[in-house]
Amino acid sequence: MTQDDFDRLQGLLASRAGFRLGRDRIHLAEHRLAPVARREGFDSVDALLQALWVKPVASLGWAVIESMLNPETWFRRDRPVFDTFATELLPAISRVRPGGRVQIWSAGCSTGQEAYSLALGALSAGVTADIVATDLSQRAIDKARSGLFSAFEIQRGLSARTMLDWFQPAEDAWVAQPRLKDAVRFARHNLLDAPTDGTRFDVIVCRNVLSEMEPAQRGRVVDHLERRLMDDGVLILGSEERIEGDTMAFRAVRGRKGLYVKAPSALSRAA
Amino acid sequence: MEVRTCLIVDDSRIIRKVARRIVEGLGFEVDEAADGAEALTYCAGLMPDVVLLDWNMPVMDGMVFLKRLREQPGGDQPKVLFCTIETAPERIAEALGAGADDYVMKPFDGEILQSKLSEVGAV
Repeated sequence: MTQDDFDRLQGLLASRAGFRLGRDRIHLAEHRLAPVARREGFDSVDALLQALWVKPVASLGWAVIESMLNPETWFRRDRPVFDTFATELLPAISRVRPGGRVQIWSAGCSTGQEAYSLALGALSAGVTADIVATDLSQRAIDKARSGLFSAFEIQRGLSARTMLDWFQPAEDAWVAQPRLKDAVRFARHNLLDAPTDGTRFDVIVCRNVLSEMEPAQRGRVVDHLERRLMDDGVLILGSEERIEGDTMAFRAVRGRKGLYVKAPSALSRAA
Repeated sequence: MEVRTCLIVDDSRIIRKVARRIVEGLGFEVDEAADGAEALTYCAGLMPDVVLLDWNMPVMDGMVFLKRLREQPGGDQPKVLFCTIETAPERIAEALGAGADDYVMKPFDGEILQSKLSEVGAV
């Protein structure tokens, strides 16, 4: 891949998806694009990119963008967060909601392990939760929706007991039981897109997504998250992520890494 | 800082070697046993913090070892993780019912082992 191609790739990713591709990632980019080139019938990554620059077909462009996203995820990544979610957040929010029903959004859910982990938390807490999980990658969403995980994936983050209770063997893999699959609704969504309806969530989980984004786009995404969050809702980021530099709308919950609530100034602004 | 010990019980020398590398990397002091009988003898002298336990072994298999271990004074202390190619749910349930703390299906890697050890509170 030429440096020029890489620069254009960076630009594409930043403008359409808001993601940042570091300058040192040129070999990773080639590695990730190779299967896309094969699938789309190109002899090489260079041929794929040349075709894209000459004729920017949306589906090809998105196939390229999606392949560059970091899909890494596992069940209950940073376990304390999920424990806090199930034992503290959910019951507290449920108590002040009609019918005890809690609305949750897993924003940037990748292949579904985070969303299913949230569902397991709600099910174990006995809280009725409507969980929506979105990702930019259609391939990731398709996999998440299938509920099918390899033996490697199923063992990372889940105890054997949980695996037996909520999943069943499917040839060499494991699949979520219907009652777990039914607990999450998956859909493709670009976080750069502004909200188009008034749907608001009690808990938004957006972990290890913002830190991968272009700084210039991060503020925009945080604004969209703010608009999607109930005034008394909670935003959960990755344990090491911070948004204080991107917004005045949220304040960190003291002593709880990655947890944010709306700042008082944001509430009065909305009134 | 307290040293944590792990006993790897497997009749395959290669598996023991691979597992040792991973577990030592997680900060454990590691010992090995090639079957359940050897493992019981070891535990009689020193109860490890963690046991990684194969199921099918000559002389004494993992299930028999586990039951005998739990009968020993102090035998309820070690965290026991089966680590085996057996993947049928009934076998997994049987292992958990017999007193195993968790269950690793082979093949495994460092991330899975770390996750499972964290699951049982060993790391």
